[in-house]
Amino acid sequence: MDVSFAITGKGYVILAADTTAAHSIIKVKLDEDKIKELSPHLLMAYSGEPGDTVQFAEYVERNIRLYQIRNLYPLRPSSAASWIRRSLADSLRSRKPYSVNLLLGGYDTTTHTPHLYWMDYLGTLVDVPFAAHGYGSYFALSLLDRYHDPEAPLEEGLAVLKRCIDEVTKRLVVAQPKYKVKVVDKDGVREVEL
Amino acid sequence: MPDGSFAQQPQQRQFNPYTENGGTILAIAGADFTVIAGDTRQSEGYSIQTRYAPKVFRLTDRAVLAVNGFAADGNMFVKKVKQRLEWYRHAHAKDMPLRAIARLIQTMLYAQRFFPYYVYNILGGIEEDGSGAVYSFDPVGSYEREACRAAGAAQALVQPFLDNQIYFKNQMAAAGQSHPLHLPLSDVLAIVIDSFTSATERHIEVGDGLEMYVVLAKGRSSQGLDGLRGAQEISTTNDGDRVFVIRRELKKD
Amino acid sequence: MSIMQYNGGSVIAMVGKDCVAIASDLRLGVQSLSISANYQKIFPITDRIYVGLPGLGTDVTTLHEQFRYRVNMYTIKEEREIEPQTFAQLVSSTLYERRFGPYFIEPVVAGMQKLPTGGFAPFIAATDLIGCLNFAKDFVVAGTASEKLFGVAEGLWEPDLEAEDLFETISQTLLNAVDRDAFSGWGAVVHVITKDKVVTRTLKGRMD
Repeated sequence: MDVSFAITGKGYVILAADTTAAHSIIKVKLDEDKIKELSPHLLMAYSGEPGDTVQFAEYVERNIRLYQIRNLYPLRPSSAASWIRRSLADSLRSRKPYSVNLLLGGYDTTTHTPHLYWMDYLGTLVDVPFAAHGYGSYFALSLLDRYHDPEAPLEEGLAVLKRCIDEVTKRLVVAQPKYKVKVVDKDGVREVEL
Repeated sequence: MPDGSFAQQPQQRQFNPYTENGGTILAIAGADFTVIAGDTRQSEGYSIQTRYAPKVFRLTDRAVLAVNGFAADGNMFVKKVKQRLEWYRHAHAKDMPLRAIARLIQTMLYAQRFFPYYVYNILGGIEEDGSGAVYSFDPVGSYEREACRAAGAAQALVQPFLDNQIYFKNQMAAAGQSHPLHLPLSDVLAIVIDSFTSATERHIEVGDGLEMYVVLAKGRSSQGLDGLRGAQEISTTNDGDRVFVIRRELKKD
Repeated sequence: MSIMQYNGGSVIAMVGKDCVAIASDLRLGVQSLSISANYQKIFPITDRIYVGLPGLGTDVTTLHEQFRYRVNMYTIKEEREIEPQTFAQLVSSTLYERRFGPYFIEPVVAGMQKLPTGGFAPFIAATDLIGCLNFAKDFVVAGTASEKLFGVAEGLWEPDLEAEDLFETISQTLLNAVDRDAFSGWGAVVHVITKDKVVTRTLKGRMD
């Protein structure tokens, strides 16, 4: 029942994910952070099979960190996306594949451009202007088709994201009460309050 | 059983009353004519049952019906439609108008809603106002009047080609001009022949022969049709709408 | 529903007079939900070879990376560029390696083949998901709209089309075919390859 969205704008990417951790029909935690800060300019929202998600996200986090320690500079978003994709694609054809869907938002400090990648547990990697996972995608994608502007300043981007969250809260039966929202831009990653 | 007993095991048997007999049908309406065509191959699985089994039938001098799908159902359905049209003639001393035949077919198909005739119907002919018309049906009677329609085994091959050549989809008209609403008969016949030769080339269930019925509105000159190779008039009168049939060979492999 | 239809997408390649064209749609979806309207599934291999990879999204990327690696190794070892015919065989053997656990991709290759005389000849080929090659002389199709592509191409294509006419023919074929396919469409890209240049055009398409 995870819901996550992401949109790009002028020089930034916003990621949002609900904060519920559920076991079957029980909510066991209401402030779970499902967006990892992989590097100074890279965010990853993860969702999917409980257990797989955190395990895989931490595996990615540590490998991306290891790269930065070894090379003294972090991976660019496109390279990080390729590496993570390959991990999932290899996992898919292994004995026990990870069931994890990702949104990867990053700011490329060499070209000064924001990047957003949609990735599913199969290892399908797509470069997109906006994206969503879970039941929220059926609401968010059509809203974003109408309201997304790749040149919008951060305030407008956050306003559009709020429309998505409000719509899901209003219309989705299994609506999530709280969302964590993070932004990545030239200044790095940070959490914002809506 | 291994111990020699004959314990009663539940068994299930089923009779499947349907089969699929391949082939393709197609109809295109012009301003004052309609072409209704079908190939003549009838098959079951990889076997050809016959190279000449008509799928297109003259109902009246202004209506032609093409049926495709399960051949036995198709033949029975045409027989019943013809019977209803004869009763209409006896009661009203005239042929049933095309739009009325279309509605009749819907009622007859929907009457079998829970044991349907496994056929796709395409009805072509001339309306009372003299315009060419095509009506296409699904097996349970949903229908629609259109300018052109393909159905059957090669529908997926032919319909997008027709979208392009008849409706001019994805084409832009020359500056200051617009696409014609209806094409002349010679163009339509050429497109029908091309559609079937293409379908024959790429689909194993299409081929052998092609029958094209042409219905001409009353008073329209048959110019071009009489001279056409193999064109044969099959109308009962020559002072009303007229029906012609043109036969062509298709590849037999 | 089949894995081959999970993400949707179609590719077609055609032969012309001293040219070849390869084109695809730009959709990537998850069953009936469209995710992207700008998903490239045709990739340049050399200046004269393009490959289209319709099928399962994850395998599009995996195979593209695999082909890039193997073509790079070929170029280094042979100290020359790979030819279309050779590349088609490489595609075939790469897929057949996974005979009993295949990549869910039906590749389409288009390129200009260097002749012993020094000239160039148009070359197209397609394989199924386990690498069975089809060297057609006219056109090859693959993807969720393949049946429709066959029908339209068979009606529109003719031999010895000049580059501009081939572009028109392949574009019309692709657009009209994908418009009747729920899993393909959302724009298209067309590459026309001649011996000394490649012209790439992006087409607008219906967004429904």
